[in-house]
Amino acid sequence: MSEYLLKIDRLSASYGDDDIVKDVSCGITPGEIVCIVGESGSGKSTLIKAIHGMSELRITGGSIFFGNEEISSLTVKERKKLMGSEIGLIPQDPGSSFNPIRKLSAQFREAMAGHGMAYDEDRIDGLLKKIGLQQGKAVLGNRPFELSGGMNQRIAIAAAMLFEPRLLLCDEATSALDVTTAGAVVDELLKIRESRGTAILLVTHHLGIARRMADNIGIMKDGRLIEYGNTEKIFDAPENEYTRKLIRDVPRLKK
Amino acid sequence: MKKKKAKLRKRVIIAVVFAAILVLIATFSGVLAPNDPYATNSELIRQAPSAAYLFGTDNLGRCVFSRVLIGARTTIASTFFLVAVSFLIGIVVGMLCGFYGGIVDDILMRIADLMLAFPQMVVAIAVAGILGGGLGGAMIALGITMWTSFARLARSHTLSIKNEPYITAARLQGKSGLQIMMTHIMPNILEPVLINALTQIGTTMIGISGLSFLGLGVVAPQAEWGSMISEARAYIQIAPWAVLFPAAATVITIVVFNYLGDAVMEYRNAE
Amino acid sequence: MKKQIAKRIAELIVILIVLSFLTFLLMYLAPGDPAEKRLSSQGVAVTKEVLQAEQERMGLLRPFMVRYGEWFGGILHGDWGVSFKDDMPVAPKLAAGLKNTTILALASLIISLIVSVPLGIASAVKKNSILDHIVRLLSFIGNALPNFLISVLLMYFLCIQLNLFPVVASGSVQGLCLPALSLAIPMAGRFTRQIRTETMEQLEQEYVTGLRTRGVREKDILIHNVFHNASGHIFTIVALQIGTLMGGSVVIETIFRWPGIGKLVMDSINARDYPTIMGFVLIMGTIYVVINFISDVLYHVLDPRV
Repeated sequence: MSEYLLKIDRLSASYGDDDIVKDVSCGITPGEIVCIVGESGSGKSTLIKAIHGMSELRITGGSIFFGNEEISSLTVKERKKLMGSEIGLIPQDPGSSFNPIRKLSAQFREAMAGHGMAYDEDRIDGLLKKIGLQQGKAVLGNRPFELSGGMNQRIAIAAAMLFEPRLLLCDEATSALDVTTAGAVVDELLKIRESRGTAILLVTHHLGIARRMADNIGIMKDGRLIEYGNTEKIFDAPENEYTRKLIRDVPRLKK
Repeated sequence: MKKKKAKLRKRVIIAVVFAAILVLIATFSGVLAPNDPYATNSELIRQAPSAAYLFGTDNLGRCVFSRVLIGARTTIASTFFLVAVSFLIGIVVGMLCGFYGGIVDDILMRIADLMLAFPQMVVAIAVAGILGGGLGGAMIALGITMWTSFARLARSHTLSIKNEPYITAARLQGKSGLQIMMTHIMPNILEPVLINALTQIGTTMIGISGLSFLGLGVVAPQAEWGSMISEARAYIQIAPWAVLFPAAATVITIVVFNYLGDAVMEYRNAE
Repeated sequence: MKKQIAKRIAELIVILIVLSFLTFLLMYLAPGDPAEKRLSSQGVAVTKEVLQAEQERMGLLRPFMVRYGEWFGGILHGDWGVSFKDDMPVAPKLAAGLKNTTILALASLIISLIVSVPLGIASAVKKNSILDHIVRLLSFIGNALPNFLISVLLMYFLCIQLNLFPVVASGSVQGLCLPALSLAIPMAGRFTRQIRTETMEQLEQEYVTGLRTRGVREKDILIHNVFHNASGHIFTIVALQIGTLMGGSVVIETIFRWPGIGKLVMDSINARDYPTIMGFVLIMGTIYVVINFISDVLYHVLDPRV
């Protein structure tokens, strides 16, 4: 039990009447990269939301453990203590994960204050440079609505990495980026795992990215985890017909 | 979702029932009133509430209970009338502007814009004052600015549907503009504008009784809550009931109609 | 942005000119003859000759546009005409009244905002809690209370029953409390409701979740983000209430004999003193239009997206 950093046990979750995530079980150990692949509507983003617990979402069954703590039964307030420093999130739409009309510098300042850190522009700038944003300091003087989607995405990634969480949740983290930048982000995520032993749970519809990054891959369809296994097994000997179809449909990405 | 909807529907029904009771009381106030609301009696001046005079009597010995009942008719009827007239003018103007557009639209909407530049109650007080009081004057004074909100709403809804396929089809069939407006546009824009009318009832009531309180609305001795409160506040120390009962009636009525407006609006927004 | 503001200012000037014209037209069309009213109030027997002489003297017989032009030209030069009632210049009276009304209006605005901003935000944050239900109920009732009624009730309970305040306000600080409260209560009801709705809308925005997932403190989220983003709307809400506040102050000033512009206009209405009434409508209209213009500009400054 305790070898897992995150353990999801028969989890079901819903926004209203019907469960969007149904009976999902999986786990992630420290330093491991797990990718959950599925088409839109498969429930993979909802799974991420259930893990961070900051959205209006009801857990209707099962449980989530972080370390030895059952976090699925905690209140939002209690769970928030984990956010940032223990669990980081790179959201699906990073632009709207910031207040669109406030300067980014002020937003970073508040985020850092939330973790008892002093505002350190050089550190943020350093992180931004690593993921290919050169004029970091100038960018921090802007408001998110003035920036492109790709810029916001990189800033959101930097904001998540800033607190060196033990688990990084990525919800389609590269969807707004062009291929080159996406590649840089993937490299940077791999580097973070390398240097800090950060575990990464990445949700994507892009099997190519999963293949490049993941130790283990899960396939989600209609809210259920229909197949789970290590990357090679999923690609070389998929058991499920749906998985086979997904693999067939992937345009070959340079490896 | 469905549960929430059912709950909201229940709220609407409750509100309608209360509003209906008030309207019924107002309608049959002549029958319900135990005493003649206008009969003065020098021997019964400022009597405390009793079995014969439930709400006591006022400075002229008139039955406050009967006057509150008759006052309901004055207030509710004049409010309904004013809202209805503003609604009719607004919906016709708005529909014409939205449907035909062009210069008529420009002119009418400029006028509506201008009306927005005047604070409503300021205009109402000035106009009612100049017209020299009277319920009719007060209603004109409030109506001058009131129709514009209906017109804007009707216009924007007309604009949003006028290029729908069924309207185009009706045009191609050679139906006249008037026919199209009556059979296709009116039924589709009626609901939002009606709901707006419902939410205006409370404010309108406050307006009418406010003007009457200032002496710019109904003329004595006609019973109306605002003017009753205004008259009786001079001797509130001796006969507080002559103020408190019409005050309670005013508050209850406004609360009920505001609640109705809110309930209907929420019910509709839940769709 | 600058170009837009310039355009809006040009529009504003046109609106103000039309406003002045409509005001004048209103008085021109008004039934009743000020000359006759004046004579009879002075106890003069109104014969045809006397009436005509008085009309001539008051300048009522000249053509409409000439009178409007004169009046409007005078206003630009600070001459707002003389009162029909006592032949005194109107402008100083209006200015004195406006000063007192502004004090009253500001006091009531401050009271209602002090109450409604924290309550509105708290009840949005604690949606469906007991606090929220109580706040909603109170603001609903406050909103349904006409201010003349509140003032009468306050007078009865606080002045007569409990003897806490003087009944007649007449300009003192102590006397300011009740009229300001009477205006503030319904306004606080409306503000609370609107601020609650506005805050709830902001709380549902995705950025709030985003900030939470980064571990930003709730206090910072609420004050520096949610309230910051809502403040543009709140300015608009307040600006739109100014109109209601102006109408309300006429009623309240009359009840408490507060020497403001509203009481002045009620006295003028009773005397058919048109120059004063015109001045009142023009001043109120101008203030209202200008305040709404400022709130529009502020809105754009606070939320540069629009």
